[in-house]
Amino acid sequence: MSISNKTSFNWKIAGEAGHGVMLAAKTMARIAKRHGMQSFNYLEYPSLIRGGHQTGQVYADFENATCQAKKLDILIAYTQDSFEIHQDEITTSTVIIFNSDFGKAPQEAMNKWGKQITSMPLSSWAKETTGTTLASNTTSIGVSAYLLGLNPDICKAVFADEFKGKKELIEKNFKAFDLGYKEAKKVLKPILTVVPQKDDMILLNGNEAIGMGALAGGLQFYSAYPMTPATGLLHFLNDHKHQLPIVVKQVEDEIGAINEAVGASIAGARAMTGSSGGGFALMVEALSFAGTTEAPLVVLEAQRTGPASGVPTWTAQADLQFILTAGHGDFPRVILTPGTVQEHYDLGKLAMYLAEKYQLPVIIASDKYILESHQTMKTPVAQNHNERQSMAGKEDLPADESYLRYKDTKDGISPRSIPGQEFGLHLANSYEHDPWGFATEEGEVIASSVDKRAKKMEAILTEIPQPQLIGPEKAEVTFVCWGSTVNVLIEAIHQAKSGTMNIIHLPCLHPFPVEAFTKLAKEAKKLVMVEGNANGQGENWIRQQTDIKMDDSLRRYDGRPFYAEDLVKYANK
Amino acid sequence: MKITKKSIKSPIAPTWCPGCGNYGILRSFYAALEELELEHENVVIVYGVGCAPNEADFNRTYGIHGLHGREIPVAIGAKLANHDTKVIIVGGEGDLYGEGANHFLFAARGNHNVTMLVHNNWRYSLTTGQASPTTPQGTITKTTPEGLIEMPLNPIRTALANHATFVAQGYSGNFKQLKEIIKSAIMHRGFSLVDILQPCVTFNKDNDLNWYRDNIAELEDHDATDWQKAFELGSDEKEKFLTGIYYQNEEVPAYHEKLESLSKGSLVSQWTDDRNISEVIEHYV
Repeated sequence: MSISNKTSFNWKIAGEAGHGVMLAAKTMARIAKRHGMQSFNYLEYPSLIRGGHQTGQVYADFENATCQAKKLDILIAYTQDSFEIHQDEITTSTVIIFNSDFGKAPQEAMNKWGKQITSMPLSSWAKETTGTTLASNTTSIGVSAYLLGLNPDICKAVFADEFKGKKELIEKNFKAFDLGYKEAKKVLKPILTVVPQKDDMILLNGNEAIGMGALAGGLQFYSAYPMTPATGLLHFLNDHKHQLPIVVKQVEDEIGAINEAVGASIAGARAMTGSSGGGFALMVEALSFAGTTEAPLVVLEAQRTGPASGVPTWTAQADLQFILTAGHGDFPRVILTPGTVQEHYDLGKLAMYLAEKYQLPVIIASDKYILESHQTMKTPVAQNHNERQSMAGKEDLPADESYLRYKDTKDGISPRSIPGQEFGLHLANSYEHDPWGFATEEGEVIASSVDKRAKKMEAILTEIPQPQLIGPEKAEVTFVCWGSTVNVLIEAIHQAKSGTMNIIHLPCLHPFPVEAFTKLAKEAKKLVMVEGNANGQGENWIRQQTDIKMDDSLRRYDGRPFYAEDLVKYANK
Repeated sequence: MKITKKSIKSPIAPTWCPGCGNYGILRSFYAALEELELEHENVVIVYGVGCAPNEADFNRTYGIHGLHGREIPVAIGAKLANHDTKVIIVGGEGDLYGEGANHFLFAARGNHNVTMLVHNNWRYSLTTGQASPTTPQGTITKTTPEGLIEMPLNPIRTALANHATFVAQGYSGNFKQLKEIIKSAIMHRGFSLVDILQPCVTFNKDNDLNWYRDNIAELEDHDATDWQKAFELGSDEKEKFLTGIYYQNEEVPAYHEKLESLSKGSLVSQWTDDRNISEVIEHYV
């Protein structure tokens, strides 16, 4: 093995639940970032607390690291079956470290890759230096740091932050790191040198990014019931609730979650809830309630493989058709489909604004793949300014009590009063209602209510995120995508020959940006839809909205994300 | 502006059947609100779906007419957003002991400071007379021609078992007592349940006004701090339905009192246009 000219690496750790795989991978991604590299940490894990097979893999590069990569530079394996499971990812240059505390590398593996496998007692080294085998992820990282030519001080700083305030623990982990590094130096040669550059980034997953964006956008109330992969957002907000004037609560069920958020919203707080497909299904009646009462509401729909309980810890983009039409009756909504972690932050913040200004539900449709993968993004500005939108001021609430909460206006948005405001009395009614809010059965009033709410969709078109053309203006293949798929396509453009491909990424699917999308699509030589469902949900929606047919479609529905290598192969055909 | 029996009336006249128990309950409710001298803008009434919650149209307040059975979480959310308001739930037993039973348990267990006024007439009247969670076993209705098989839910005991800190039973025909109970419930520190018995002249022919008169009495000489006694009195085996406050405990903090973020004031009052998230960001560097 020789020191290469590559400025990237692809590192993977595989073990059982309970081996510290997830923490090791996240730490590795953060170490890469601290060296100034972009990094992406992709986790695969079963719906188990102990046992099973868990992996974390980090792809890092100075130019672009937006997704996971297939071929491994380093594999750290804790279990015998890791070799069979990941055989397609191992190449003739993959350095394999096997944790010998878990036995011997299997004979078939030795036959195939014998020269590349080094057995090391990673857990024993951990026990020796820290008193517990739990720090085996630290010793693994020590070994990896040597192999990748990483700066030991930068690596150690990450551990220091991880165990902030616990001096003894930090010292022990430094020892564990040093031991791994030293032992690796005895028997291995580095495969890379990473020269540290400026680090102006943060590392976080999609859930954390949405949460951070929502907080930046003035979120005050979050209620949810735990459900993979939306639970990360609930945990994130709980972790930070002592830092800001917000209420974050776990509730009795998903129906309680959304109704609490709507109640909080009607009472004047910026509110949000979140769940995955099955939980969102329970929320649907209340979505209709938010729509008719014109209560601002943001909802995260964190898609996973369905239907029903589906495959809880695996990804999919198969709830789109459900989300587009969820909720009986006719009411306006916005559906945002962020791709990169940066976009999750931006749209988390934007959603708070749009929901309040247009007084409607804004659904953020994302998926396990990006919600639970860590990706680097530029550190956002900490100071944010959010003005209240569409609220009734004193001038809207005269003393003669003539204020009408649902009075018709040019753009359909009526100034909104909240409890506590004098002369702002009104009824927020789940029944169809007149401008005061009283229930109605009169034909004219019913129709005009529907029209008034629908008007808001026209007004909102100017403020939704537009489709993005990524890559060269002219290309042989134009991939069309929504949500997390863009992360993989961006990498594909980097890998492919210039001019092979470009991307039209849609960060908002409802209302659909017909004009902007049509303009971009017209320039394409070949339109190929890429999405994670079997029946072309995004493709069908685009066809319905624009009459534009795709020339081909790539659909994945096995719980796994797309891989850039496969998309490049397709484009080169 | 303070609520009066006049100012709270909307332009819409009640649409209940003549003789409906809801008229009596509404009289007591209005009188209670007036006597408490509450300001219009500081009261939020959250309604479920049924005959009684239709009073959403007859009342002029900040109101939320929610989905069937879901008024409790809406009320909880509204209270947490602005705990300076009094939040009162007006629902039927179908809403609150049936469709929304899980929310009832959760509200009691969390001691959320909302007042649950259950208009309990032993029928689903708005949908024309089916059995409800409190209909006596054996009752014949449109959906139970063989006689209702389920045993009725016991609201007093269910509330007590789920740590409710204020549990009372009222009757639509006892104006003064119900008014006083409602006043106490609204002013109670935490979660309060007022289960209000009432006839349904249209769909409950088994229990007419005479039946109610003969089978209801007021609780007397009862120490409302005695949980054991309250639980005993709430038994299904009783001679008469006893109305009054069964249990009241002012020592338990309401849910919102335990939230650090709300110690400085209501959530809505803490809104600022400027928000700095540097403390959040530094964890992800």
